[in-house]
Amino acid sequence: MTVFNQLLSNELPVQPMMPGSVSSSVTCCPFFPRVVLLQVMLLGDSAVGKTCVLVRFKDGAFLGGNFIATVGIDFRNKVVDVDNLKVKLQIWDTAGQERFRSVTHAYYRDAQALLLLYDITNKPSFDNIRAWLTEIHEYAQRDVVIMLLGNKSDMAAERVVKMEDGEKLAKEYGVPFMETSAKTGGNVELAFLAIAKELKHRATQQPNEPKFKIHDYIESQKQKSGCCSLG
Amino acid sequence: MDGETATGTESWEDCMLAPVDRLRLERADSPTPGLVEGTEPGAGQRSAMFVQAQSFEDLTSEAEEEAQRSAAEENPEGPDEGEYKVQNHDFSSDSRTKEEDVSSEAWRSHKKHVFVLSEAGKPIYTRYGTEEALSSTMGVMMALVSFVEAEKNIIRSIHADGCKVVFLTKSPLVLVGVSRTSQSDKELLRELQYIYYQIVSLLTLTQLNHIFQNKQNYDLRRLLAGSEYLTDNLLHRLERDPGLLLSAVTCLPLASCSRDAVSSSLQAAKAKNLVFSILLAGDRLVTLIRKKDQFLHHIDLHLVLNLVGSSSSFREGEGWTPICLPKFNTSGFFHAHISYLEPASELCLILVSTDREDFFNMSDCKQRFLERLSKRCAYQSLKEALKCPTYPVSQVGIPDLRHFLYKSKSSGLYTSPEFPDVYRSGQEQERLMGLYQDLHSCLHHPTRPLRSFYRCGETENLLAWVTSGFELYLCFSPLASKASAVAAVNKLLKWIRKEEDRLFILSPLTY
Repeated sequence: MTVFNQLLSNELPVQPMMPGSVSSSVTCCPFFPRVVLLQVMLLGDSAVGKTCVLVRFKDGAFLGGNFIATVGIDFRNKVVDVDNLKVKLQIWDTAGQERFRSVTHAYYRDAQALLLLYDITNKPSFDNIRAWLTEIHEYAQRDVVIMLLGNKSDMAAERVVKMEDGEKLAKEYGVPFMETSAKTGGNVELAFLAIAKELKHRATQQPNEPKFKIHDYIESQKQKSGCCSLG
Repeated sequence: MDGETATGTESWEDCMLAPVDRLRLERADSPTPGLVEGTEPGAGQRSAMFVQAQSFEDLTSEAEEEAQRSAAEENPEGPDEGEYKVQNHDFSSDSRTKEEDVSSEAWRSHKKHVFVLSEAGKPIYTRYGTEEALSSTMGVMMALVSFVEAEKNIIRSIHADGCKVVFLTKSPLVLVGVSRTSQSDKELLRELQYIYYQIVSLLTLTQLNHIFQNKQNYDLRRLLAGSEYLTDNLLHRLERDPGLLLSAVTCLPLASCSRDAVSSSLQAAKAKNLVFSILLAGDRLVTLIRKKDQFLHHIDLHLVLNLVGSSSSFREGEGWTPICLPKFNTSGFFHAHISYLEPASELCLILVSTDREDFFNMSDCKQRFLERLSKRCAYQSLKEALKCPTYPVSQVGIPDLRHFLYKSKSSGLYTSPEFPDVYRSGQEQERLMGLYQDLHSCLHHPTRPLRSFYRCGETENLLAWVTSGFELYLCFSPLASKASAVAAVNKLLKWIRKEEDRLFILSPLTY
């Protein structure tokens, strides 16, 4: 019937779909509900908070204290519920350092979604976003879902990148945008869930079903982070 | 005796399936265990896991040879190649005024400084303080190197004002150690060599050369960003870890049947591009499986141990990182899959593959290993063994013995009991390690090496003994006599022989 139903009947763990479509895959397990596998990758300069965002999402905790640089890439799983369907997110946390770039490149093409982070208190990390987007266009799948995140929104006093600048850049590239805080948890869950929803809809969309609009969804859900301090 | 030796040697060189039991019987019968290499307690029975290396000499001789070679090249007519020690007392005061501008008294009073710079004099690493603040100091260091080089010679060390400055030129890098400790130049050079290998393991030598050929004044810190803690930790280990001193690693004490079960489970989880599988319990080796004919060098293993031990980033998920094993090959990266068997566990599995795209294959290997491990109930006994990763020296039953280091040369493994109460504090441990280092320097003196050495001190008596099969360092209470110390050696060797199944990896496996 639909692509999704074809997939459900297929027990292969990784099944590439028709060209141009999202290559998400589905495994069937007799004891658990059907699970959709999605690969998500966190990208951005060193020390923008990629690992912290991931830990906040995965364990609901904040990695305070010392900065621990990720070595190479780090792979973790988290199962989330999207509209009563289990979605297993396989999340690649990458090292921001330049010397790991070649390893990161090798795993770009497997990712269906990319979370691209900058640090709102660090201008160079924002300026590098264009370079990151160029790299993404070179290595990632053509229809990859990209989301731009301005992290550390709790640190209002040290902010150097305005929220409007982030919005403007995101608009220019046509990608959804929000500001997150791994420390308070603001918008972190939403970022991952919006991506999971988008990909799930792409994989399971019925012909007559209305298209999932990730931009609208985010706008309706997101907390205007730091609204009190921004004024 | 002759026949026995031949069997032993043959079996571990040829990687054949030697009749292990027979060999074990013969070995146990040997009246003087350990006097012949390959039969000492702890010697591997089938094949060694590591590259056979003259350990300490292996590290330092290379640097010396290189220095001499380049000196000879640059100075074909010069008779005074090699040793060139500059006795320059002006240097210290001179450089001090410079350092005072950028740093405090506390900075200068550190026991050991390590600096890495490029041949263009650009700072790459300093152990203390920031590189930026020290750019002029490093400029001076480079000037010294160049100045002596212009005279067609090589600067080795400067001894001035209780301070040793040791230079190691490893193009395109220059490493400088400044020490107030009693360590010999050779020991300091060995430490610099480790730091050099640490940097190579992050970048490969090929990449290093390529970068500096294209741009001589490249700021290497850009590529090394976020890795400084690895070098910091390695320096810390060099002061504390007997393994780095002995060029050996230590094992988790584990009943041989359990270890064999773990090893064979790991052996079965193989893949096409898998070269080494290493299971660690903290800093201790549980088992190591290697591809046939491929050996891991102890330096490379220590770099892996340092990477794993320094980064908490592998704790949760599965890590995948490029790593160059410089003693294996300085030109390329391996890719290591690093993960803990359980988040809170000490057990860390490292799977080294040649293929950058092998992550999922390695992840699958780990799963297969875990499945086999739990099927054979070996996991439970392994977890039990983790509860006592070390042993008290009292198990040996020698009253005055406080601590010892025993290294089996042919297997590249060492064993050592936990530190007794007297040496519990970090400061005391470092002092004892310093004493061992002194003994080590004496035994491995470049021109007058010693076979054995007994030293009476105020706080302890020490005995060191090296044979072709083992190295032994013992620490006794200050009340012990020399005769009792010598008698203790035999008793200790017998004890280690009795316990070798548990303390060492006697039958390492290959895929």
